Amino acid sequence: MTALVEVRGLRKAYGGRLVVDGVDLDVDEGEIVGLLGANGAGKTTTVECLQGLRRADGGTVRVLGLDPAVDGTALRTLVGSQQQDSALPDRLRVGEAVQLFRRPGSPRPDGLLAAFGLDGKRRTAFSALSGGQRQRLFLVLALLNRPRLVVLDELTQGLDPAARRDVWAAVRALRDAGSTVLLVTHFMDEAEALCDRVVVLRDGRVIDAGTPRELVDRNAPWATVRFSWPADRPWPRQPGVHEVRRDGGALEVHGDRGMVAYVCAELVRQGRVPEDLVVVMPDLEAALVGLLSEEVAA
Amino acid sequence: MSTSTPVTRTRPVGSGAAGRLVAAELRLVLREPLVLAFVFAFPVITVLVIAGAFAADDAGFDGMDPAQWYVSSYLAVVIAAVGLVMVPVHVAAYRERGVLRRFAAAGFPRWSFALASGTVGVALTLAGCVVLLAFAAPVYGLPPLHRPALVAAGVLVGAVAMTGIGLLIGCLVPSARAAQGIGLLAFFPSFLLGGGGPPPTVLGPGVRSVANLLPLTHVTESIRDPWLGTGSGGADLAVVAGFLVASALGWWRAVRL
Repeated sequence: MTALVEVRGLRKAYGGRLVVDGVDLDVDEGEIVGLLGANGAGKTTTVECLQGLRRADGGTVRVLGLDPAVDGTALRTLVGSQQQDSALPDRLRVGEAVQLFRRPGSPRPDGLLAAFGLDGKRRTAFSALSGGQRQRLFLVLALLNRPRLVVLDELTQGLDPAARRDVWAAVRALRDAGSTVLLVTHFMDEAEALCDRVVVLRDGRVIDAGTPRELVDRNAPWATVRFSWPADRPWPRQPGVHEVRRDGGALEVHGDRGMVAYVCAELVRQGRVPEDLVVVMPDLEAALVGLLSEEVAA
Repeated sequence: MSTSTPVTRTRPVGSGAAGRLVAAELRLVLREPLVLAFVFAFPVITVLVIAGAFAADDAGFDGMDPAQWYVSSYLAVVIAAVGLVMVPVHVAAYRERGVLRRFAAAGFPRWSFALASGTVGVALTLAGCVVLLAFAAPVYGLPPLHRPALVAAGVLVGAVAMTGIGLLIGCLVPSARAAQGIGLLAFFPSFLLGGGGPPPTVLGPGVRSVANLLPLTHVTESIRDPWLGTGSGGADLAVVAGFLVASALGWWRAVRL
């Protein structure tokens, strides 16, 4: 695979305070990579250095083979970008925004506007668009000039759940079209739903990286099984079970993933397969909350 | 195993993007109510009122017809409205809302917004002057132009200098509201003492010396004197050119936004 982004040992400080501290990052062509972390983790500063909007204090950065510190303006014409906390002029209409951001020779925008549900909004001013429509417009603008790399920074911040789902669908469409996306987010469900790989930042450092599945497996290798069970009936000791909790007529068994098989086998063996059986597997949020807690404890 | 992407060759960027930005900014600025009110309506209304408020032989105007005196002075009011009110609010609002970061991230060269703001400021000034004269001419007539080249130089140099001052204010203040407050605070004393208010002869010595410190006073005189033939306005034009050089700081700051 071809690496569109190669970052080694990136460092950036503001007034003596180090906000990015030795970050390594690779983004290969055609993948969606999530840069995940809490507010203040250094995510936005990292992508701003990648686009040449900020000058790194140390490390090497190559994006599409260019050094952002040297070829920033040229690079930014090749990268589609959605900036956190940025806007367009209130009175700029959708059609005018497309006209402004589209470079000569780029494909006509009609298809993109239609694909993102903005075809009928060409004469609508930016200030009159809903939050979801604004984000979809930013996606259209980011894609207008057929960029090889798209950087999306907190794309769904402030959107209601329905609008978030709309935007997620748009990002999936990008992946299907073969675009390479660097997605900056602090929403773990968003990273899990969209990303092929995730890089987790904390205090400016990479604390883990991998596919969402790998991160979950590594940081939350447990499961919970919940089902109705008579209060006076004991539950046997089983391999991999860490804890058995009773809550009235319900039993909750917590332990390694493999214990799920033992629990279910035991239910079958006793001829008591409950209809309310629930198996809870940890998601990325559960995995990373644990990871961040470990870091805090350390 | 990944391989590095080959170095990407790009076409030079800049002029096309800057041209699109200038065109968009020109369109947008005409949709701003503040612009329409301050640049077009305010100078027209005030000149129509004040130019007719004095008798033709009023002694305060050194023998000049007050109507002609004010009509020629009010081009500077348009210049001040653009430079001290419109430009600072516009630039500060874009900075505050992250519009400039969006432009930069989309590959617009950093100097392109300064160029667009400057072009819009000067173009708007010229349009405002045309509107002002179009409304004043049927009512008071236009004074004969004694030295048109110097008048044009006064308008252009004054417009560029005031726009630069506006850019500087817009770059330094934290918000559009602050820019509006500071801009209005700078505009009204300049307007009243620098050409749009009472004639200098009725001002007390203290107030007159304050007026002489204001850039707008010199912009007004660099236009009015060669227009009415009361002088070349050369000294005032030189002072305005000095302000232009100082305002280059504003342009430089805007380029680095």
